[in-house]
Amino acid sequence: MNSEYQKNLEARIDRALKALPDLPAPRHLLPQVMQKIARLNSLPWYQQPWQAWPVALRATTLAFLLASCGGLCIACWQLTRAAGFAAATQEIAQTFSGITAIWNTVNVLLTALVLVLKHFGTAFIIGCCAAFAFGYAICVGLGTACVRLAYSRR
Amino acid sequence: MQQYQNMVFSTAMRLLANQTDAEDIAQETFLRAYEHFDEIRQSPTAGGWLKRVATNLCLNHLSRYRARWSFFSDLLGSQHEADSEPIEFAAPDDLSEKLEIADRHEVVEHALQKLPTAQRVSLVLYHLEGLRYEEIAAKLNVSLGKVKTDIFRAREALRKKLRARLAEDVVT
Repeated sequence: MNSEYQKNLEARIDRALKALPDLPAPRHLLPQVMQKIARLNSLPWYQQPWQAWPVALRATTLAFLLASCGGLCIACWQLTRAAGFAAATQEIAQTFSGITAIWNTVNVLLTALVLVLKHFGTAFIIGCCAAFAFGYAICVGLGTACVRLAYSRR
Repeated sequence: MQQYQNMVFSTAMRLLANQTDAEDIAQETFLRAYEHFDEIRQSPTAGGWLKRVATNLCLNHLSRYRARWSFFSDLLGSQHEADSEPIEFAAPDDLSEKLEIADRHEVVEHALQKLPTAQRVSLVLYHLEGLRYEEIAAKLNVSLGKVKTDIFRAREALRKKLRARLAEDVVT
């Protein structure tokens, strides 16, 4: 590619584009923006974004949130030191013991499946995948044929 | 706002090539400006701020449809390459002379808006927004090579469109 030609073209396109004046904005643009601003302003303060709230309210809510967060942290910490905490956690663990049993069973089944697959070897796995893909393709093909048949009879 | 409305609208229109989307982006830009009114009221760079916000909003808007337009861009690009013809070496003053005959700005504007999105966006960011190739690649999240190719193709397409359009105008 001729670099002289490219430079020349770049310079001319640059001149042509930079010489373009601004396009006139539609007349309704400004009224629409003003309308939206008026609508935003007419909303009560609590429906406006937090950044638009009065400074005093922003400071109050921020302080309230920080205090709540701190209070929650302290409450949790105190709870762990409470007398009945150990008994309560044990009770919760017993409630969810069923889930642990299910998880253990699934784990054993998956391990067994992996062992079986390892026993049969890679060729068997590839064969299974191919059979599955073949079956899927047949289903798609049959489905397509049925749809075509149904629509062609209309 | 009145002072900048054309500039903001033009920026959006040249990047998006769609009147409705450009209006939406212009509105959104002014609403953002209203939110930051205290900061930009006295700022001498308010125009630059508005232009940057409009450009970023346009790029965000385009990125939502990016998968679609980059696919078509690549498709058109490969088609373009397939039937690529030897590049004509136009006489230096040929184009500028013809541009003086026709309504230059309207023709350029029209040709610009007819470019494929990927090419138009890169071209506008390079020539009108003054970004470097690397910055454009980073903003559009594409490779540097793609940006350079898109800009080169855009210039070529623009040149061809302008020549064709101006030839028509001269005949009629």
